[in-house]
Amino acid sequence: MDPESLLALVETAHPTLRRRPLTDRPAVSVAPGELLAVMTTLRDHADLRFDLLITHTAIDYPGENRFELIYLLYSTVHGHWLIVAADVDRTRPVAPSVCGLWPIAEWQEREAYDLMGVLYDNHPDLRRVFLEDDWVGFPLRKDYQDEYMLELPK
Amino acid sequence: MTVHVRTLDELLHAPLEADSELTTQEYLVNMGPQHPIAHGSLRVVVRLDGETVKEVIPVPGYVHRGVEKMCEHLNYRQVIPYTDRLDYLSAIMNNWAVAKTVETAAGIETSDRIEVIRTIMAELQRLQSHALWWGVTGMDLGAYTAFLYGFREREIIGEIFEETIGARLTMNYIQPGGLMYDIKPDFAAKVKKLLPYLQDCVEQYETLLSGNVIFQERLRNVGIVDGARAVALGCTGPVVRASGVPLDLRATEPYGAYGKVQFNVVVGSIGDCWDRYYVRLEEMRESIRIIQQLIDGIPEGPYSTIRYNVELTLPEGIHYGQVETARGAFGVLIASDGKQEIPYRLHFRSPNFNNLWVVTAISPGWRIADFISIQSSLDLVIPDIDR
Amino acid sequence: MAITRLDAAINLARSNSLWPLMFGTKCCAIEMLMATGAAHHDLARFGAEVARASVRQADLMVIAGAIVKKMAPRMRLLYEQMAEPRYVIATGSCAISGGPFMYNSYTVVRGADEVVPVDVYVPGCPPRPEAFFWGLLTLQRMIREGETIREPGVRRKPVMAALPEDVSLHEIRAEIRAALANENVIDVTQAANQKPWARKVREWIQRASLR
Repeated sequence: MDPESLLALVETAHPTLRRRPLTDRPAVSVAPGELLAVMTTLRDHADLRFDLLITHTAIDYPGENRFELIYLLYSTVHGHWLIVAADVDRTRPVAPSVCGLWPIAEWQEREAYDLMGVLYDNHPDLRRVFLEDDWVGFPLRKDYQDEYMLELPK
Repeated sequence: MTVHVRTLDELLHAPLEADSELTTQEYLVNMGPQHPIAHGSLRVVVRLDGETVKEVIPVPGYVHRGVEKMCEHLNYRQVIPYTDRLDYLSAIMNNWAVAKTVETAAGIETSDRIEVIRTIMAELQRLQSHALWWGVTGMDLGAYTAFLYGFREREIIGEIFEETIGARLTMNYIQPGGLMYDIKPDFAAKVKKLLPYLQDCVEQYETLLSGNVIFQERLRNVGIVDGARAVALGCTGPVVRASGVPLDLRATEPYGAYGKVQFNVVVGSIGDCWDRYYVRLEEMRESIRIIQQLIDGIPEGPYSTIRYNVELTLPEGIHYGQVETARGAFGVLIASDGKQEIPYRLHFRSPNFNNLWVVTAISPGWRIADFISIQSSLDLVIPDIDR
Repeated sequence: MAITRLDAAINLARSNSLWPLMFGTKCCAIEMLMATGAAHHDLARFGAEVARASVRQADLMVIAGAIVKKMAPRMRLLYEQMAEPRYVIATGSCAISGGPFMYNSYTVVRGADEVVPVDVYVPGCPPRPEAFFWGLLTLQRMIREGETIREPGVRRKPVMAALPEDVSLHEIRAEIRAALANENVIDVTQAANQKPWARKVREWIQRASLR
């Protein structure tokens, strides 16, 4: 399916979606409250069938006080791509977990929690995955401070 | 008085008595971070009931270096050497992922010559990686000879890399807009001479290991994962292809010179350890086929279309590009702000991180020795999991 | 007299039967422990091929790769569990100083010698197997001369230097940058001969070969 008709189909199913500009693959932006409903449609709709969650990550925008959650979906049935973006509040970064739809999300969300500090509602096992449990702070945030880190001398 | 002498068969098949004093105890075994079967420093906590695996809890992070944070301070050329150090057995293919993403985003054109050389190098590295994996799997399952044979081919292919690239492991070869170095005049002749030898080697691998009864017993019907479940668990590469899903980025969205060559996507049938083993062996044959089709017609021309000191600034937005490495889809997600020549945020989609978690789903119920087969058949490279 | 001679004999025996620990964290492990252990390079020529999975049976720890904060206490534990005398070779830039991960990394320990005392450093990223053999031969020589027996935790200067004296990394970097700004293709041999440090390197090589 070509990107334009794919986006049109997704928009018909969920009219509240907005297209996310400035991406090299078709992308939509959803509110975190609707994320689960949209994701369920994307996985189960016969013409969409996004069965592979390629990756999930978060981008920190401290100036705009938000995290942008990026879900990159691929359909092994139809061979098309979709980026789903969701903005969450930076001071209270809570998003619904999509573990129920794609089991791999459990660990990808753990990574996003570990490095970016995004919290996931209804996650079965939200723990740090790479860093130790007593680590302070979330290193991939732009305002992360660590006195151990060295700046590259200019 | 008569003594009944039991046979070994009788002993092994004797039913356990219900009132036997033999009881099993549940306990935890830490495999790693330093452990003979851990290829690197992955820690896997295994909950055992006797010898039966009840639960597997992988604990990665013993090589987590924070590469994604470091990349926020580096320009796109400087990112490439760090991708070598993620999945170091697919270094050239990892370089390619970054180069491809940057080229697509910045609109840099490459030539036929560059794409053909990239493809040949990537396939040579896939051969090298699979040969190494074959040897290490043999060693994990108790066949030390396999290790020696696997590393023999690694050295022989490595000589070609050394001659062209000057490195044995961390290649830093494919750059945005071209290659780091040109190939030597006798490159094609040397590779052509090597191909029949590698073909013989794959046959030799079959003779040495595939037909071995013990080896087959330890792999066949062990750790089965069906296609839908493998996809849901995020697997890519030979792991998901072994379960019968023909997901190969070289075929589904051809890049480089893959669109010009004939090759088969190798798929397994049931997704057990044996399928994962055999898919990789067949892939070695396919890689040889791809190189055979390309090696005669390497076009002439420059090896880079842009100068190495040119400033690369990507347009604002999210750019994602990915390639098929020896272990699956390696992707690079770059969020650029359009102003700086460093990424605002860079995320690596590592195939090993996503392939690892399938062990939690397929290991329970198997014996601890089968767990070794399962882990070995996934072909994990730990620094790529941890990044 | 008799005691020193016995020591010499023991040291000779120790130096020729080093049992490395099967321990690798990163890329260097492929080159240092696996490629050298295989037939092409063959670690057995130096009597050090008996890679042991248990620390109790090993006396040589090859630190192959970056050590991160999560790994550091575990590596220290492994070191403490090894029976004395025990030797440590740090291979590769990451284990020597943090290498490529020195700056802007929040986890990498800048040098394995922050955690355990290191006897021999082998530079490279990763070093070639031949470089590792040279490091191993250096360690064997040190053991024979009784140099390695010392207070634990005492740091020493690297016994193998990557650069000759009087040449700093900044000089070389500036040279490379200047060259890249002018030319896209460089004849490496020709360019190297024109460098101000070329004479120093030649002298250094000559000195080293005379020694």
